[in-house]
Amino acid sequence: MLEDEVLKWQFKCGSSQALARIYDKYVDSLLTLAAGLLNDAHEAEDVVQDVFVAFARSANGFTLRGNLKAYLTTAVVNRVRDRIRRQQRRPAALNEATPARRKSQSPEEQLVFTEYAGRLHEAIKELPHEQREAIVLRLKGNMKFREIARLQGVSINTVQGRYRYGLQKLRSSLNGEVRK
Amino acid sequence: MKPEDRVEKAIREEFTFAAGSKLRDRMLTRALDAQEECRKSRPAPAGPAIGRTTMKSPIAKLAVAAAILAAVVLSISLWNKSTPAAYALDQTIEALQNVRFLHIIGRDDTGRIKDERWIEIGMDGRQVRYRQQNPPWLIEQYPSAPAKVIEDGESTAVYRSDKQAVILYDRKDMQYQWVGELGKAFENLRQEGKILEENTEYQGQPAHKVWWPYMSAECYIDPQTKLPIAIGDTELSYEQPSAGTFEITIPDGYAVLDKRPGAPVTSVPQWLLDEESAQANKGQAFHDGSVAFAGGDYAEAARQFEMALGWDSWAPFWLGSAYYHLGKYDLAIYNYNKEFDIWAKSGSDSKLSYCSYARGLAYACSGNLEAAQADLQACLPDMIRTLRTPSGGQMFEYAENPMIRYGKGKLTDEVMVIKMINRLRLVSGQNFGYDPAASAEENELAIAAWEQWLADGGSINVTFDAPPVVESQE
Repeated sequence: MLEDEVLKWQFKCGSSQALARIYDKYVDSLLTLAAGLLNDAHEAEDVVQDVFVAFARSANGFTLRGNLKAYLTTAVVNRVRDRIRRQQRRPAALNEATPARRKSQSPEEQLVFTEYAGRLHEAIKELPHEQREAIVLRLKGNMKFREIARLQGVSINTVQGRYRYGLQKLRSSLNGEVRK
Repeated sequence: MKPEDRVEKAIREEFTFAAGSKLRDRMLTRALDAQEECRKSRPAPAGPAIGRTTMKSPIAKLAVAAAILAAVVLSISLWNKSTPAAYALDQTIEALQNVRFLHIIGRDDTGRIKDERWIEIGMDGRQVRYRQQNPPWLIEQYPSAPAKVIEDGESTAVYRSDKQAVILYDRKDMQYQWVGELGKAFENLRQEGKILEENTEYQGQPAHKVWWPYMSAECYIDPQTKLPIAIGDTELSYEQPSAGTFEITIPDGYAVLDKRPGAPVTSVPQWLLDEESAQANKGQAFHDGSVAFAGGDYAEAARQFEMALGWDSWAPFWLGSAYYHLGKYDLAIYNYNKEFDIWAKSGSDSKLSYCSYARGLAYACSGNLEAAQADLQACLPDMIRTLRTPSGGQMFEYAENPMIRYGKGKLTDEVMVIKMINRLRLVSGQNFGYDPAASAEENELAIAAWEQWLADGGSINVTFDAPPVVESQE
């Protein structure tokens, strides 16, 4: 019951249990979101780590009036966009990033996902960034087209077009792999 | 389902990553370390604080207060002129966190008070104390209904004016509520509420209009306080009630029947024993009727709901529906009429769309097409509104499945829309191409076509063999 409101208040009062609960509640969905937006699962870990560290440091002046999940989602999206902008200025292209899984690590030390989720990730990675962002924000960030349009600085129609074309590409690249 | 939709579903449901246990621990440890560092580095007060020194002088205190006030007034007026703040549902949720008292007044179509309640809410969002007052005209209609109920936090007192008696229960054994758990209702507003219109009016006063699924009603929000001022036909205010509102007192001449544990053993009057026994039997019959109805055993459902009449306002409705399925349309219409009577007697809105729909179909089956047309036409606006606010169709679903009351058979928004489209096809014979496998854009066109059809006068044409939309079988 209104758990997030209580957590926000406890967090603001400095409760480490509240921070742990918030982390536990949202870390996986934020990791999924970041992994979907980025080509590299390790970068996704870094982004989510950064978001939680910054969030933990913000307790003193924390005055969030809105929805906690939406706040954390936006924080992840903003950091991902910053990271991509930085990478675009670097010589190495995004699609040359390291593989999504570090084979040398044990499952406990890395992101865990099913083989099927991995295949979806591979397919999503192939999409142009704008299409990928529209699809991931819509389906994993539960954002409205209007909100994505505002974020991307384009019209709703453009976002819907990106979403539709992205789905078409995914359909053809998955071609029969999608479970019925 | 088209492949596109499978892709969407696959991403939504199966594209998930989780942190392995060590990664999870490592990331959490870093976040907790950051929080701890932040706590340690919080600047300690050092040296004399200017504000503190200044405030020692009473004149300076006033000057500072005036300056602060002026700044606040200035900033408010500048804010008002420059940026009309957008309203968000979270603001209402936040405002509701601070509410400690609720005053609820329900009125009938003529403006008469039909229901008045006060609730004290605890810091945890739960009901602490409660008072409900039923008006005399309602008690005349239902003499055995309590004239008043008071919960003082420990006991519940039920005032029966017909028996000149106050029955005392332990609060744990007998609790009255307004809308169930308030916290759940608030959370539902946050999760599923929808802003329908900003900066509109409610009875001449500025308000935002919001759809609140839990309440199955439109709700009006005060733009200043962000608090709901009306939900459906119920008005809300938040003042502290007068002293004694939640105190249990015994009116002169009233007998006290104390049923609390540990109370002195006294003989319970026969009328109360009879009532309790009858209520228990009716309650059981209502439950058994619901199970039989949901299982398609309409003869048994009719038998049980006949016995349950008087226990719940929905009993005549489902009795009517059981007769409808048995092909006894006159009995169905008779009981649907009783349902309308109950709501009319209690001063509630007589526009029961789900009941109009059911009675309209019964009229159509019995050959009274004129009456069928009138009933079905009356419920069209609510039916079409459901296509955009699916939770508006909850009553239609409940009407078809009494087990929803027992937490079974709740439907998703998507299925509720499909079922409403099928009802619309049945009563209109129209088909505007809604298809669960189609894209959101295509279905948007279908919904717009239904809205246009209604705006153009949407005439009834009951078509029992209209092909239904088939729900996706995933």
